[in-house]
Amino acid sequence: MASPGGQGGGALSTRGGSGARRMKWALELSVGNTRSRGDRQGGQGDVVYPIGYSEKPVPDTSIQETDKNLVEKRCWDVALGPLKQIPMNLFIMYMSGNTISIFPIMMVCMMAWRPIQALMSMSATFKLLESSSQQWLQGLVYLIGNLLGAALAIYKCQSMGLLPTHSSDWLAFIEPPQRMEIMGGGMVL
Amino acid sequence: MAKLILLLLKLCILFFVVHAVFEDQVGKFDWRQQYVGKVRFSHFDTQLQSSKKVLVATESNVFAALNSRTGELFWRHVDKTGPEGNIDALLHHAQDAVLVVGNGRMLRSWDINVGGLNWEMLLDTGSFRSACLVGQQGTVKHVAVLKKTVISVHYLSNGHQKWVENLPEGETVDYQTVYSGGNGQVFVLGIVPHSHITIVVYSMEDGEIIKQVSVEAPWLSNIPASCAVVGQGMLMCVDSTTMSLNTLDLHQQLQMTQIPLQSLGLEVDPDFHPSLVSHQPNPAQKPLSEFFLQLGPERYLLLQLNNGQIVTLRDFKPALLASFATTGEKTVAAVMSPKNKTACSINLYSADTGRRLLDTTLIFTVDPNGGKPERLHVQAFLKKDDSVGYRVMVQTEDHALTFIQQPGRVMWTREEALSDVVTMEMVDLPLTGTQAELEGEFGKKADGLLSMVLKRLSSQLIMLQAWIAHLWKLFYEARKPRSQVKNEVSIENLSRDEFNLQKMMVMVTSSGKLFGIDSKTGGILWKHYLNNVPKNAAFKLMVQRTTAHFPHPPQCTLLIKDRDTGLATLHVFNPMFGRKSQVTPPALPQPILQSLLLPLMDQDYAKVLLLVDDQYKVSAFPSTKNVLQQLQETASSIFFFLVDSSQGRLSGYRLRTDLSTEQVWEVVVPTEVQKIVSVKGKRPNEHVHSQGRVMGDRSVLYKYLNPNLLAVVTESTDVHQERSFIGILLIDGVTGRIIHEAVQRKARGPVHVVHSENWVVYEYWSTKSRRNEFSVIELYEGMELYNSTVFSSLDRPHAPQVLQQSYIFPSSISTMEATLTEKGITSRHLLIGLPSGGILSLPKMFLDPRRPEIISEQSREENLIPYAPELIIRTEWFINYNQTVGRVRGIHTAPSGLESTCLVVAYGLDIYQTRVYPSKQFDVLKDDYDYMLISSVLFALFFATMISKRLAEVKLLNRAWR
Repeated sequence: MASPGGQGGGALSTRGGSGARRMKWALELSVGNTRSRGDRQGGQGDVVYPIGYSEKPVPDTSIQETDKNLVEKRCWDVALGPLKQIPMNLFIMYMSGNTISIFPIMMVCMMAWRPIQALMSMSATFKLLESSSQQWLQGLVYLIGNLLGAALAIYKCQSMGLLPTHSSDWLAFIEPPQRMEIMGGGMVL
Repeated sequence: MAKLILLLLKLCILFFVVHAVFEDQVGKFDWRQQYVGKVRFSHFDTQLQSSKKVLVATESNVFAALNSRTGELFWRHVDKTGPEGNIDALLHHAQDAVLVVGNGRMLRSWDINVGGLNWEMLLDTGSFRSACLVGQQGTVKHVAVLKKTVISVHYLSNGHQKWVENLPEGETVDYQTVYSGGNGQVFVLGIVPHSHITIVVYSMEDGEIIKQVSVEAPWLSNIPASCAVVGQGMLMCVDSTTMSLNTLDLHQQLQMTQIPLQSLGLEVDPDFHPSLVSHQPNPAQKPLSEFFLQLGPERYLLLQLNNGQIVTLRDFKPALLASFATTGEKTVAAVMSPKNKTACSINLYSADTGRRLLDTTLIFTVDPNGGKPERLHVQAFLKKDDSVGYRVMVQTEDHALTFIQQPGRVMWTREEALSDVVTMEMVDLPLTGTQAELEGEFGKKADGLLSMVLKRLSSQLIMLQAWIAHLWKLFYEARKPRSQVKNEVSIENLSRDEFNLQKMMVMVTSSGKLFGIDSKTGGILWKHYLNNVPKNAAFKLMVQRTTAHFPHPPQCTLLIKDRDTGLATLHVFNPMFGRKSQVTPPALPQPILQSLLLPLMDQDYAKVLLLVDDQYKVSAFPSTKNVLQQLQETASSIFFFLVDSSQGRLSGYRLRTDLSTEQVWEVVVPTEVQKIVSVKGKRPNEHVHSQGRVMGDRSVLYKYLNPNLLAVVTESTDVHQERSFIGILLIDGVTGRIIHEAVQRKARGPVHVVHSENWVVYEYWSTKSRRNEFSVIELYEGMELYNSTVFSSLDRPHAPQVLQQSYIFPSSISTMEATLTEKGITSRHLLIGLPSGGILSLPKMFLDPRRPEIISEQSREENLIPYAPELIIRTEWFINYNQTVGRVRGIHTAPSGLESTCLVVAYGLDIYQTRVYPSKQFDVLKDDYDYMLISSVLFALFFATMISKRLAEVKLLNRAWR
């Protein structure tokens, strides 16, 4: 996403070219992709473009309609992503079994962590879906997908016995009862 | 090939399950002390000048040889306990020692050099009277044994009987002594009380009666106590009624010649029974004509019989003890006389003249914490210049043996009282001075900011000082060779270690001597002899105040009860130093039945001791106003129970506010059918961490943890193997409610019981199957707790669930105890003392009534071992490897500061101390933990990180410059 133009947004650039090291630094006052142009042209010598000439092709506005559809499609892809992962997760769950060892634990952790991470970065995803017309629906689907993923992870934890849902899980916290009577004695000495 | 693989697998399994000690751990955490008991007979080995052996035969039925230079055992033979193994006589000649054992049941000969058995003969029945070696023409070849009705003579070389003869008039005459002067004749002396002495003379060759004479002696009743054979076969008797010496020539047997003591110018102390000490240096020769006459508790006379005339050689006054000793041709007399309050002097006198030998004074320092000297064993030897030198072994009232060399150097001391430990406690050691200083700072009430700061500064200064002193000591000792650095533990430098693994073992012995022993090294740090302890006393030791309450000293209280009179005394002492406490114990005019240590404390942090007298009235110690007030407040919740096994009565009492009691319950076990053998409650310092057990389906089965539960064991009075039974009753000690009752038919005692947590384990002999069996009872409350916050026996509507299972054990056992840890998290083991001398650590897991017969998924989940009737003894379960403990009588367990570690002391004839780790050492790094590797890896990683960080920085910078 970060284009080379974005990097070269600054006016100051250092030249560390392999062959050409004519000057330590140069200040170019022209706006635009100065650096890339300069780099590209470094070996060939300076070519001065006419004013108004741009190296980039001008975007064609005639294909806007299909573009919109593409955006929609892409947004649905994003929204349906978590749901699509569920069958895969189910398969992994089935394969890893209920024994507690390092690999199943790692898988469960990953399964749980991914939806949680996605839910936490919900706002970023919403921004991504901003361009879509069905933004709210997609957001909802995305949310449900992630929640389902999390639920699946919890179910897996449950079936592995990692959730403290039994009374035995709280046994260690029971304090010994206080005794009410003092008793002693024994055989007559 | 398959077999080979199987073998390899088996080997692997063997190596993985081993959790015994490693070879290099032997003696690292454990020690053993071997004892022999109170010495009854002792002989010095005089074959060679350089011989170092002392032969001792003791009242604990032990025959042993001690090293006279170090006091260690050369060898030891432990016979059966009780009268069956009782050593009646010890005769010693050259390298043979002949023992008469078990009231004349056995005659044994031992080689004293190696301690091996030469021969053993079973003798005819009849109670033993006397034995002596018989010599002929200067050599000793026979031993004569006198029994009630029969006399037999055996060869010394192989034990075969030479001849045996019935004694004449065996019904009327009480034969008491046998004597031989080395001239081919054996004299048997018997008496008819209040009438006459009978003397029967046998020929050594064929056992023919040569002569049989009766001599009038109506005053004589006991020959060994008042008579001795002196000189040319003269029987010398002392008559305490007429105060006279009576002599009788055994060869002529005419009549007794009376010599009044007054004619010798002697006077006997009133109420003292005079006695004689004679000496026969060689059984093939005649006894000496010199002898000792004891006239009073502190007066001895050395007399000589010279042609029927008695000559006084020397009068020893005051003299405590006297003894003869022979070396070569010389015989000397050693006399101990009191010097001052703390020391006695021993001097050597020539036996035939009574002259004092020069430079033979020896000082015996009487231990103020020991008993008075009781017996003197003298070892005389010839020096290079042909003068007589000697060493003495002094036996004191407290069963201690002290071996002393001239001029008073104590070579060794053996505390034989420790062979009979009755009860013991393990007390935490105090904090060091500096630690205590800090603790004290927090303990005191704050009195202003400035003073607090000053106090803190001063204590920090003291700590700094101690640290510098420690460093200096380290530096100073580093220059010395390692062998010279001594790490001796003494009372002054006693302090608690990091994990509280070192404790003070306070041991009470049946002789009335108390010991304080360091549990780490086994060194005796203090001893205290209680003078007036009755013979058959019952002891109960209680720790009233631990070391946790600085600056108050720790305090232990010993209740000593005379079983005959029922009267009791209290001995209050400091368990760290053994000193008697300043606190005066109350006088107890009434017989005491029981005592009860309450968890209540007085203002000085001493726990309150309640003493119950025979009127069922209670007295408190300490009984300050504060204590009485506390007692009044809590009286309604204080209960106690008493078990009278003679009447078969169990009764429970409640305390009233005026310190009288009311009976709450009573259970009578009819004594005609069964008798109560033992009652076991739970240990007061036991903690149970887990309140339940997790089942396979992850629900909880809660334990029935009744702190007031008692396990009462009964045995049937009918001992017939078809009808005998043992019973076990689980009774609540507060309400008297019988929670469970189990009867084991066709079973016999002795029953050993351990009661802990929610289980009772007991062991008995099954007469039906003729084997030892273990049985375990576990109590559970069920799937729900009735009341999880408080436990009151008075509010328990539901009866617990009871589970029971039994197992076969391949050995009989001597004693049994359970391990104990600080918080009760560690799994429990049973420590079983076996008669073979091993101490077995059996995991409680094997004694679990939930062990299933059919394995299911759930039982596997619970880690339950499938039921198998046999319990196997695995050799790696022996915690004392090859250090057998003779006659284990008790095992004491105490928690340490580490949860994984439990301290164990097994006592009996020997004392063995070790540590056990029932769940392995989960809280301690292993002994062989590779500190070097770990730390070097850590450092390497640290430096690698530093270097790579630097490199990464350089690289980043370079890239930035690009």
